[in-house]
Amino acid sequence: MELTVTDIQRFCMHDGPGVRTTVFLKGCGMRCQWCHNPETQKGKPELLFYAQKCILCGACAAVCPNRVHTVEDGNHMLLRDKCKNCGACASVCPTKALEISGTKYSSEELLSIVERDRPFFGNAGGVTLSGGEPFLQKDGAIELLRLCRLHGLNTAVETCGYFDPDVLNAAVPYTNLFLWDIKDTDSARHQKYTGVPNEPILNNLERANRLGARIRLRCILVNGVNTDDIHYRRVAELANRLSNCEGVELIPYHAYGGSKATFLGRPDNGKNEWIPTANQLGTAKQILFDQGVKVL
Amino acid sequence: MLFYTPNRMTRPIRLSEKTRQFAYDSLNHKYGIETREHNAVSLDEIDIEIYQKMSPLMRYDTAIFQIVSKAPLRICDGERISGAATLGLAIDHRVPATYGGVKIFSSVSHLTVDFETVVKKGINHIRKEAEISLEKHRGTEKEDFLKSCLHCLNCFDIWHKRYLDALADRPEYRANYENLKRVPMEPAASFYEAVQSIWFTFAFLRLCGNWPGIGRIDCLLGEYLKNDLQKGIVTLDEAREILAHFFIKGCEWVAGGDYVSGDAQHYQNILLGGIDENGCDVTNEVTYLVLDILEELGISDFPTSVRLNQNTDEKLLRRVAEVMRYGGGMLAVYNEDKVIEALQKDGYELSEARRFANDGCWEVQVPGKTFFMYLPFDSLHILQKNTLNGYEAGVDYPTFESLYQRYIADLKRAVEALVQVRVEKCNTRNEKGEWVWESLTPCTVISLFERGCIEKGCSYFEGGPIYNIISPHIGGLADTVNSLYAIKKLVFEEQRLTLPEFMRVLKNDWEGEEPLRQYVLTHYSYYGNDNEEVDRLAARLLDDFADICAELNGKCGYRFPAGVSTFGRQLEWIPQRASSPHGRKKGEILAGNSSPTPGTDREGATAIIRSYCNADLSRLTTGAALDLKLLPSAVEGEDGLSALMALMRGFVILGGFFMQLDVADVSVLRDAQEHPEDYQTLSVRVSGWNARFVTLSREWQNMIIEQTER
Ligand code: SF4
Ligand code: SF4
Repeated sequence: MELTVTDIQRFCMHDGPGVRTTVFLKGCGMRCQWCHNPETQKGKPELLFYAQKCILCGACAAVCPNRVHTVEDGNHMLLRDKCKNCGACASVCPTKALEISGTKYSSEELLSIVERDRPFFGNAGGVTLSGGEPFLQKDGAIELLRLCRLHGLNTAVETCGYFDPDVLNAAVPYTNLFLWDIKDTDSARHQKYTGVPNEPILNNLERANRLGARIRLRCILVNGVNTDDIHYRRVAELANRLSNCEGVELIPYHAYGGSKATFLGRPDNGKNEWIPTANQLGTAKQILFDQGVKVL
Repeated sequence: MLFYTPNRMTRPIRLSEKTRQFAYDSLNHKYGIETREHNAVSLDEIDIEIYQKMSPLMRYDTAIFQIVSKAPLRICDGERISGAATLGLAIDHRVPATYGGVKIFSSVSHLTVDFETVVKKGINHIRKEAEISLEKHRGTEKEDFLKSCLHCLNCFDIWHKRYLDALADRPEYRANYENLKRVPMEPAASFYEAVQSIWFTFAFLRLCGNWPGIGRIDCLLGEYLKNDLQKGIVTLDEAREILAHFFIKGCEWVAGGDYVSGDAQHYQNILLGGIDENGCDVTNEVTYLVLDILEELGISDFPTSVRLNQNTDEKLLRRVAEVMRYGGGMLAVYNEDKVIEALQKDGYELSEARRFANDGCWEVQVPGKTFFMYLPFDSLHILQKNTLNGYEAGVDYPTFESLYQRYIADLKRAVEALVQVRVEKCNTRNEKGEWVWESLTPCTVISLFERGCIEKGCSYFEGGPIYNIISPHIGGLADTVNSLYAIKKLVFEEQRLTLPEFMRVLKNDWEGEEPLRQYVLTHYSYYGNDNEEVDRLAARLLDDFADICAELNGKCGYRFPAGVSTFGRQLEWIPQRASSPHGRKKGEILAGNSSPTPGTDREGATAIIRSYCNADLSRLTTGAALDLKLLPSAVEGEDGLSALMALMRGFVILGGFFMQLDVADVSVLRDAQEHPEDYQTLSVRVSGWNARFVTLSREWQNMIIEQTER
């Protein structure tokens, strides 16, 4: 089974318990305005261009069959519309200023890569599938989870919750922990900022819970978007209602992801005004705590 | 009183305010500056004609006598244990005695002496052994040395009595006086006496200019503390205070000012934990007290290592991680499973191998029984200068294998030449053509504490100790491997250019070849990225190197086990190095010890450890050190502790040898360069030792920053 992967990061400390190897799968059904991994949104491979690494050697222009690159007068212009993401330019670029995001791996290959750090995992650590939305590549993702469990590796899935509900029957038995994003509990706002309503996500969540999945909720705090008390209360309610929820992680929005969009040729989508204040973070923690929710 | 931490974590307070003040003063050079004021004793009273007729050993004996009689005594305010090495030349690794203003003798380091006999049997026991041996060797050429032994023991007595007299005069030091009365001459009877016994002997050795390591302090003191706690003679808090004074007094040579490699490098290493000769875990209360002290005071002048194994207690591992993350490079770790395996492969008995300590840096040895010396060399230089003939025209090899074989032949020749020069310095051939030891610089004081010397009647330098080790140390490992790998890929596999063409590029220091240089830098995955192909090459090179060393054994009284190190030599080597095939220009700072080339490791800490462990490190008997630097943010909170523990656990499981994990922040180091006055106690792990960052030369500071940045 093949999976399209944007990145594999080893020695991750914040993607579930212990030391983990995180596999980022490409493709997501949502379009959050604050997305900090924009290269994982589309399912297909995409060309990334890091302008600051370009030494203007012109090698890319010489090999591109579609004349995407023009390198002249100390400038490098890209006509991205014409790019077929074939990767020819990336393979000749001496500085890796060009890169194709989205490499195919078989599930066995991925297993052997994550196996490498087994000596560091201890009892708690293991593998985390992230993205993107891992379950958009459902067959591959489930196969990989199954293989990992078969080899005794702890598995976690970082999900936005927006996927085909049928996935869960197959996925839950092979997933030790779900790190489940709750972007917003207000459906209209959810629609506005992420492009989709939140009902399917919440339905999937309840269903996962019924199937016995262990769940950690992850709530991004975006100043001026979802930093209101009502939202925090609803999160607390949700956490308390789920029988298998071990707590909530609060993730303050940061603007680093913004510049990543420029590598895809899109404008920087980072907004400093979205960064929550320490006060807002404190209030959120307090409300959750008051409702008896464990903040992780 | 702020004891520096890179991550601004507050250090816990367990010690008394007075003890903390003592530590603060000591770390801020109070006693070091004082020590510098009295540099040495002078032998000028001796008439020149008499002096010229004296043998080196007679001069040495005279110097030691003058030192113990005339060195200033120092009793620090509120000190719990007494004795101080108060002559400044000793800080420069010299016997602190001069004649006509000229320094007379160098001194000894890179060894851990036999403190076990000192604490458990006492100096008088050593004296008895010396007397017996003298009787046995009367009338032989050994007589002079054994007489010198007894003379130096008498000198030790003189110095001891001077301290007792001084303490007796000061009623507030009654406890010190009582405690010093019996030890170190007699066996220690209590924890307090045992600490004083080791300290006083250590101070005597240092007073005479030597720089010994301490070794397994928890092994030495554990039983004493256990007994005293049981009997209620001492409390844990009290024991911590006493032990803290040992560490604080050990900073008496910290003098500030400019030193190339820092002002805290006196090889006074300490080892904690691990198993004893019977395989039982030695970890005890003393282990944890030492960790408490390091955590609270941030004293880095006793570079401390912990012996880990597959079964290391979770509690100890956690405590080690907790202390480690304050940074300063205070703690490093051995995987003792690997070290013991390595020593056994080199012929040591299992029980002997299990007793290992280090030499004052991190090279392992059996303490109190080993003459140790290492011979560092730059393997990259051999590749560039010999195998690739300085990149001159005409260099060509039909295959990568032929190039590699030629390199190994060049390496062998270089190692043999290096060893030959060294051996000829301490040995001569007799009529029958056999190597015999030759008398060298006198070193009686250190010989008293090395088993074998007194029995055989031979000094430390003359084959006295039971094991005599000269260890060739390969330096520049990662860069040699990366260079070979780049040539293999670029020239022989991808055939992007011919070897003669590549030589031209390198001869011109990559001039006008930036795209090619960038390609080589970014498209290949070098040592430190868990890339099997390049890691196999590293393993093969180390194996071949170990073979070269093994073949040297048996020809003379030394053994020649292999090791890997650069310590800080990658700086010294810059001028002799040309540009490198893996994309580096002339003059760049390259890799240290067994660590990756700065800037080449892209896969993170776990991949570095895997690359390092891929080679059979059990063939590198005296050690191969991996330096890892982590950012303060990576070790924060509970996650950070788990991360450190995971790295240590993985390092042991994968078969590592020695790892120095340091927590450092580049921006803090940069700020310290600009405002040294604010960072007097900021220390960093350099290699086998720690340095107060602001006392390093600018080049060394930059090297540390470069290592930290990657
Ligand atoms: S990926 Fe292919 S089509 Fe796109 S720019 Fe590069 S060479 Fe041209
Ligand atoms: S090949 Fe790379 S470095 Fe050269 S011009 Fe294209 S993007 Fe820039």
